[in-house]
Amino acid sequence: MSNEKMIQHIYWRAGFGLSPTEWQQKKSWTKKKAINDLFTKAYQAQKIVLREEVTSLADTMENLSMEEKIRLDKKAKSQLIYQGSDWVERMASPDESPFLEKMCLFWHGHFACITKEPVLGAKQLNTIRKNALGNFYDLLLGMSKDVAMIRFLNNQQNRKSSPNENFARELMELFTIGRGHYKEQDVKEAARAFTGWSSDKKAEYIFKIRQHDFGRKTFMGKTGNFDGDDILKIILERKETAQFISRKAYRFFVNEKVDEKHVNQLSDIFYNSNYDISTLMRSIFESDWFYDSKNIGVRIKSPVELIAGLIRGLNIKFNNPKTIALIQKALGQVLFVPPNVAGWEGGKAWIDNSTLMTRLNLANYIYLATDVSLELKNELETKGKIKNIKKIDATIDFDPLIKYCGIDSYENITKTLSDFFISPKINLAREMMQPFLIKSNQEDFIKILTMRLLTLPEYQLC
Amino acid sequence: MKRSRRNFIKGSALASTSVMLPNFLKAFSTPLMSSRSGKILVVVQFSGGNDGLNTIVPFNNDIYYQLRPTVAIPKKEVIQLDNGLGFNPAMQALKSLYDNGEMSIINNVGYPNPDRSHFRSMDIWQTGSNSDEYLSSGWLGRYLDQNCLGCDIAHHALEVDDDLSMALKGTKRSGFAVADPNLLKRTASNEFLKTIAHHHDHEHEENVAYLYKTLTDTQSSADYLAEKYKTHRSTVNYPSSQISNKLRRVAKLITADADTKIYYVNHGGFDTHVGQKKRQAKLLKQYAEAMAAFTKDLKQNNLFEDTLVMTFSEFGRRVKQNGNHGTDHGAANNVHLIGGKLKKAGFYNEGPNLSNLENGDLIYDIDFRKIYANILEDWLGANSNAILGKGFRNLGII
Repeated sequence: MSNEKMIQHIYWRAGFGLSPTEWQQKKSWTKKKAINDLFTKAYQAQKIVLREEVTSLADTMENLSMEEKIRLDKKAKSQLIYQGSDWVERMASPDESPFLEKMCLFWHGHFACITKEPVLGAKQLNTIRKNALGNFYDLLLGMSKDVAMIRFLNNQQNRKSSPNENFARELMELFTIGRGHYKEQDVKEAARAFTGWSSDKKAEYIFKIRQHDFGRKTFMGKTGNFDGDDILKIILERKETAQFISRKAYRFFVNEKVDEKHVNQLSDIFYNSNYDISTLMRSIFESDWFYDSKNIGVRIKSPVELIAGLIRGLNIKFNNPKTIALIQKALGQVLFVPPNVAGWEGGKAWIDNSTLMTRLNLANYIYLATDVSLELKNELETKGKIKNIKKIDATIDFDPLIKYCGIDSYENITKTLSDFFISPKINLAREMMQPFLIKSNQEDFIKILTMRLLTLPEYQLC
Repeated sequence: MKRSRRNFIKGSALASTSVMLPNFLKAFSTPLMSSRSGKILVVVQFSGGNDGLNTIVPFNNDIYYQLRPTVAIPKKEVIQLDNGLGFNPAMQALKSLYDNGEMSIINNVGYPNPDRSHFRSMDIWQTGSNSDEYLSSGWLGRYLDQNCLGCDIAHHALEVDDDLSMALKGTKRSGFAVADPNLLKRTASNEFLKTIAHHHDHEHEENVAYLYKTLTDTQSSADYLAEKYKTHRSTVNYPSSQISNKLRRVAKLITADADTKIYYVNHGGFDTHVGQKKRQAKLLKQYAEAMAAFTKDLKQNNLFEDTLVMTFSEFGRRVKQNGNHGTDHGAANNVHLIGGKLKKAGFYNEGPNLSNLENGDLIYDIDFRKIYANILEDWLGANSNAILGKGFRNLGII
């Protein structure tokens, strides 16, 4: 494995690829230097802020007129779109920490939660940002007290008099230990422990003491007057939890096909570090097996990774943030709107005939600003006509790429560009490129070749 | 331009007038296609939660009128059918299907512990899961996974939109999404994509190979569908609406004897929290008129008997109206089946019991997966246990 390939691999898996300028600078770095670069930048990242604090929370709308409600609702919806698009642009920006954004994307899919409230979505994302590379216990506690999550999983309705098990069940099934490692009785008892973990009218977390069940609970073989915090601690004492999270991280960052030996190594490390997420991630990136050829260029990029990578690689400016939202929808991954609490399935599930065509043609759509005409279904709760993707209003800045290629032979430029853009092994058959190798000026050649490379199915993988 | 015999006939005066044209044309293209085998299933999804109570109206029920002072459909406007139930007046176009015994209505369909979120409940309907279970494949996708006859063809199950619903996603195979076959053909078969599909190195890692396979499958399906799409020109007048356009596209492909056996069509906008009556009437009218044209089209081509339509929504709505002349998210709902070969037409069961509600919502007595089981076993000839899990007794309507 060439050093260059390893650098490309780590920046794609721990981030969203590199811009031509970054690539030029970093491709000769050592792995160690790259890993330090990624971690250092991630620790320096700041909280995100909304473009505008707008809310359509029912509680704040009580005394408003119908027109006012509709206006606020509309505003909240477009704010939600901005929020997802802004996040994609942060992922793509060389000024931000790609690794932190990647970790947030991982946890965003892990703690999958649907919210229509931009304010709550931003709050949740900030909780994730704060703990994404910290301790898993803090992250878990933060998510258990997160208002969007509390509302999404009905903990708002979890009261001593009538417990609601939704949060307690997903906590174990999807967020921590996984199926098969707890009993129905554990779900019931955990639900009792989380009674009263609620939110107030201002959408702040609140412990409703009168709704909380202070009685004795027997949970996973232990008995006591447990509250939610105790439940989390008991779950984390179980090694299966470290295994569950490590496996998920392995499948996300390394390979969907799990090597049990490596996952066992990771979960030992994670467990012994007392659930320190940075330790887990460092041991992935510092391992030798992470750079095995069977782990390189085999991951199908998620839609959001694909878009962010394109923006970064081509220095794309979208003139309308809505476009990024529509592409997310067309490709099947809308940030803040996972399909359900189990999150995005990933891998081959991203691919069907329609998403593949859009993926392969995406760079060209952007380049040509063509009429895309995709007929997409409406969101379930919206009325009116289907909003089709009409035109992708964006510009590409080829200058860095042209500068990077320098003056060179067409054969060499082909190699330079394909090394930069393509992760899997590739054999560019002459027949494939021949018709496009005709003499044109070098700038046009670079542009056309770039578009061709981005149309290859191989570009869909990292 | 080379003028093929088919083009010649199509362009002739005969083409525009003859009702017989589709079959006539078929005669020229038979060598290319397999003969019709099996049945066609068309699933129509009402998105947003259609109010079942104002679709199939219990016009003799006092509670209905008490709880919905401004939203209820007045008795005199209801298209009265049987058992004190009748159609919303906007569904006049479906009356003759009902009268002919070509429609079956199943009341009180739902599932245990109903979820009132659009997303979640739609997810449950599309995956066929329990409400506390998360599946990442759809019920029809799992049918495709079962190696059914012809399932290896990419467009065996087709959604008439450009995004594919979970219902049609399997673990090994998936359905095919296409709003406009002609447009897809242009995108899928541009020169460069054709070139790489032919000239790529055939030794690939599994995921890369999967993408290339999906690409070539898409190209051949796009070519095939665009070709089929040209074959049939309907003589039926379809009204102008999105649902009508979609059903017209479905009819085109069915009539051209395309080897697609399952069609999935979405009709959205049913989330009627505010000013329900007008909005729902508009949507139901679009649906009813489109369906009337669609069934007429199929009948003219002697294909109605081979076709089954199932129409559903992710949930019904609360019995009591809200403060905005609308209704909020509810639970159990009715499901409609339309077809030329129903075993039990008319009302399958009694209408909802409005004096026994749960949190103000209708209580289900038929699990929606029993309808799926019936369709899978008796229409598609599949083993429903393997697709839905055990315990969903076949309803015996189909």
